[in-house]
Amino acid sequence: MENAKEDYKIQSFDLETQKLLKMALKEPNTVDLEKVSNVIVDQSLKDQVFSKEAGRICYTIVQAEAKHNNGNVFRRNLLNRLQLEFVAREETRLRSLQEWVCFVTFICNVFDYLKVNNMPMVALVHPVFDCLLRLAQPDSLNNEEEVDCLVLQLHRIGDQLEKMNGQKMDELFYLLRDGFLLQEGLSSMARLLLLEILEFRAGGWMLSDTAQKYYYSEVTD
Amino acid sequence: MSFRHKSRRTDAEYNGDENRNRGPSRWSNCRKRGADGSMRSNGDSDSTGTSDLKINANHRPVSFTTPESEGPVPRCADWGNEVETDERRSSVRRDMQRYRRRILTADFGPRERKNSSGSSESRDSPVPGEVMEEDEEVLMRRQKQITYGKNTLAYDRYIKEVPKHLRQPGVHPKTPNKFKKYSRRSWDQQIKLWKVKIHAWDPPALEGSELQAIEEVDLDDVMDIELDFPGLDSDSSAQPLKVSKASSSQPDSCQGTPSKMMKIDTSVDLDMA
Repeated sequence: MENAKEDYKIQSFDLETQKLLKMALKEPNTVDLEKVSNVIVDQSLKDQVFSKEAGRICYTIVQAEAKHNNGNVFRRNLLNRLQLEFVAREETRLRSLQEWVCFVTFICNVFDYLKVNNMPMVALVHPVFDCLLRLAQPDSLNNEEEVDCLVLQLHRIGDQLEKMNGQKMDELFYLLRDGFLLQEGLSSMARLLLLEILEFRAGGWMLSDTAQKYYYSEVTD
Repeated sequence: MSFRHKSRRTDAEYNGDENRNRGPSRWSNCRKRGADGSMRSNGDSDSTGTSDLKINANHRPVSFTTPESEGPVPRCADWGNEVETDERRSSVRRDMQRYRRRILTADFGPRERKNSSGSSESRDSPVPGEVMEEDEEVLMRRQKQITYGKNTLAYDRYIKEVPKHLRQPGVHPKTPNKFKKYSRRSWDQQIKLWKVKIHAWDPPALEGSELQAIEEVDLDDVMDIELDFPGLDSDSSAQPLKVSKASSSQPDSCQGTPSKMMKIDTSVDLDMA
């Protein structure tokens, strides 16, 4: 199970917690799953690297618990904890941009990985959109950290989100176009990120070869 | 051209009680329309502010969606429940499709003979041409009861011990068929009896634990206390206590085992004091 460290990016946890997580993956009925879910959420809010991949370990624990004893204690606790964080998100954003960004990354990652009967969780669709719409507000667009988070999530789950609610996606992109065109003081990096995501969506959630070259090739002086 | 965004409400608008009185939570994505029938705009799907949320240092809520309001509690009060309900719904729909196909192919062989002996136990297998239960609400409720019954240590042990093809009718419990037309009472009774049968596979009581001590108690002393034990009589003092596997006890349409256990515990404590 040593590759668990790499697979799930749990190196940042202390050794005892790593053991706990490994037990949760192997024998979920022997551990306190509520504690496990809290441990994972807490770390996701602090650790940007972990927040980007935590959905995966969550998925595996959910599957393991379902297989072992048809339970869903872990999933239930995880979701309810996420809901608490969601409700408090404005406060979180004011207190710490990094924590806010980590939260959005994590909830999107959970949306990506935790499927229900092979479908995304409907319950998360509106909350995820709410988060992205918040990131598209003028004050957030002024922070590269938030713009970066926004475009990352759209790259990862934009197509799935659009399938679940096309109208909301349209609404989000109105904001992004407006922001790109009209917002004064937007950094050139922010404008670049926004332009790229506008092209990305217009291309059916992928970049054309030429656009790929434009945005991602090394610049030779 | 102006920004099309609406100004965000930053004051503490989230109020669990307020939501409950109106009905479904604002996170229930099943609804595109509000209670008055109008389409929900983006404006009211926000919930900013933290107001009533009390979170202690361990991130455990002291009170979450506080259920002390006078109105009915919405079924989708939290994401955990909402996702579970959605999962149940998609499972039920998928099961419906499968069941319909089974009826259509009508591939039953000798079991197709009608049970004409007039016994109280009606045939549970699908009968071609028979009307099936299609009301989603009913199916969801029944599926929930079935899921709770299967989510036990006893059921786990049962299915490991007795593979399906070796099950003997009458001897081994069989999950009631949710697609058959039954009255509410009939269905609930079937579920009760099914669950009682499954209890036969309860794990044995632990050595040296309180559970064993309880077995020694003369049940006549506790007969005054009203407990609902379908199918059991007072002679079953050797009956081991049931252990439910879910760490969070879940509400049950029939008497929940955990609460039965608690009642016995308190009565015994009084006796043993």
